[in-house]
Amino acid sequence: MRRNIAVGILLLLVFVALPGLLSAVGGGYWFRVTTTIGVFAILTMSANLVTGTTGLMSLGHAGFYGIGAYTAALLATKLHWPFLLTLPAAGLVTAAFGILLALPTTRLIGIHFAVATLGLGEIIHLTLLNWVGFTRGPMGISAIPGISLEGLFPASDIGHYYAVAIIAVASALVLGRLTHSYYGNALRAVREDDQCAAAMGLDVVRLKIQSFGFACFFAGVAGALWAHTTGYISPADFRFSESILVLAMIVVGGLGSLPGAVLGAVILLILPEVLRPIGDYRMVVVGAVMFLCILFLPRGLLGETPVLAILRRQFGLAWDRTKHLGWRQ
Amino acid sequence: MFDIFFVQQLVNGLSVGFIYALMAIGFTLIFGVLNVVNFAHGEVYMIGSFAGLMSITAFAPPLFVVILVALAFGALAGFGLERIAFRPFRRFRDEASLKSKAVREATLLSSLAISIIVRELAEKIFGSNMQAIPQEYLLLTPVQIGPLTFANGQFLIFGLSIAMLGGLQWLLKRTRIGLAIRAVANNPMGASYVGINTERTIIATFIIGSTLGAVAGLVVGLYQGAIFPAMGFAPGVKAFVAMVMGGLSSIGGAVVCALILGVSEAVTTSFFAQGWGDLVAYVFLVITLVFFPTGLFGGGRERV
Repeated sequence: MRRNIAVGILLLLVFVALPGLLSAVGGGYWFRVTTTIGVFAILTMSANLVTGTTGLMSLGHAGFYGIGAYTAALLATKLHWPFLLTLPAAGLVTAAFGILLALPTTRLIGIHFAVATLGLGEIIHLTLLNWVGFTRGPMGISAIPGISLEGLFPASDIGHYYAVAIIAVASALVLGRLTHSYYGNALRAVREDDQCAAAMGLDVVRLKIQSFGFACFFAGVAGALWAHTTGYISPADFRFSESILVLAMIVVGGLGSLPGAVLGAVILLILPEVLRPIGDYRMVVVGAVMFLCILFLPRGLLGETPVLAILRRQFGLAWDRTKHLGWRQ
Repeated sequence: MFDIFFVQQLVNGLSVGFIYALMAIGFTLIFGVLNVVNFAHGEVYMIGSFAGLMSITAFAPPLFVVILVALAFGALAGFGLERIAFRPFRRFRDEASLKSKAVREATLLSSLAISIIVRELAEKIFGSNMQAIPQEYLLLTPVQIGPLTFANGQFLIFGLSIAMLGGLQWLLKRTRIGLAIRAVANNPMGASYVGINTERTIIATFIIGSTLGAVAGLVVGLYQGAIFPAMGFAPGVKAFVAMVMGGLSSIGGAVVCALILGVSEAVTTSFFAQGWGDLVAYVFLVITLVFFPTGLFGGGRERV
């Protein structure tokens, strides 16, 4: 009962209160900000799965986000696919790339994996930038159609908001079930001590590749949403600094905590907007918030352990074998 | 047999490689001692070149003095960096903290945060465009030797790099502080047991590494005529690649790999468009990590 109320309040907030409030203040601009937050929430939740839960520090997440965005944009502008097809296509293509690239690199641990993903992210960025014949290079791709359903609703700010909100909530649901299950426990075991996890019978490399593939799928979905809601993408959107921004969001929210990832995205995107009157100190604020968080709250605003405790108590997630949740029951 | 143009490219690549080497040494020293990656090294490079440029526009001193200014500011930046981004995180010594992922990677993230703050503040103060450099300080006077054309900056880069590499070897192998640095790098706990002041040694390492980086930044800025706040990122990443390729804690390996990187980039850009040259470093990085995870010159590290 309690869990239904909590979920109901959250859903009301996202689907009724927030769009109502934004319509009331008449903000096309604020709709854009909230849509961006939604896209980045999906991105941070996916990065959190691989960096926080599985403990593979990914410094190239923006690259995979870029693959998703370019897949969706190219399919929509060159082949005129509708949004309902480009979205899963972007996710699947990105996941395929992710699994392909994870096969050799997930055997590395710690800083070596982080460096390898940094290299992969930069390779993707430079390819998008230099392969002018295919991606139009630094000019970017413009005139990407917005999100619309034939006959139901045309592309509009509020339509984009609802599309992003629905997909973000669905992603949160899927990623939540993934991280707060026996499967998620296996991923956490791999993070804490992979040799020990292997000794307990977990297939460590397969788990790492799987979680990287899942994370890339959602990064691709976020990229497709970004391409369709902004209508214009260029390689500058998918640089190393975006990977760092995503990493900062996870760190501020709390490594390994799913609600924390969303909170981090909200804070680091809202702060620059609120601080706009004192000048464009966007990245300085990001850096400062990140530094202070690491210094004073090394486990993040919503740390993993308290969040896990709350979720277990409130939702009974995966701690009830009779409900056939989770992994290898 | 060899095209003159090709040989020219090789020489240019070598001089770029020496720059990467100067930066890679700073990375490698700090990694060797603290076992953490210092992501703010590129910002030290930027600070070095900006400090030099400020002194040029303010007093127009001889080049030698400008290099000394960059050295001093590099040392200062290294000291500040260690105090702000690294020292506060050495307080986590208990078992639970050492095991927690968030705390283990805290210094990596804190140096990243500091580098963002420094770079963005520099962009706020100086603007993100390239700075104007007085003509007489640009190290681009052509020197003709046979059919090859060198810039005088290349001689300075060669000379300075070799002098600094030699000096570093002397410092590490022949002086007391060098002995302390090697001891702390080998085993920090053991070093403190035999009475070495580890805190002071760590600061010394940061200062040495950062002065090398700052001088590299100044010389490159004057040689390429490009001084701007984000200038540290690309060479920083490449120096990092050189360090990983060289086997993380091997200074000699990092230098050799930096030279290989510089030359192969120059060769790539002479065959393909400019933009693809940057790709070489990253492709090398991924190939090295996948096939030689301990680096090309790495010792026997147990797991990577």
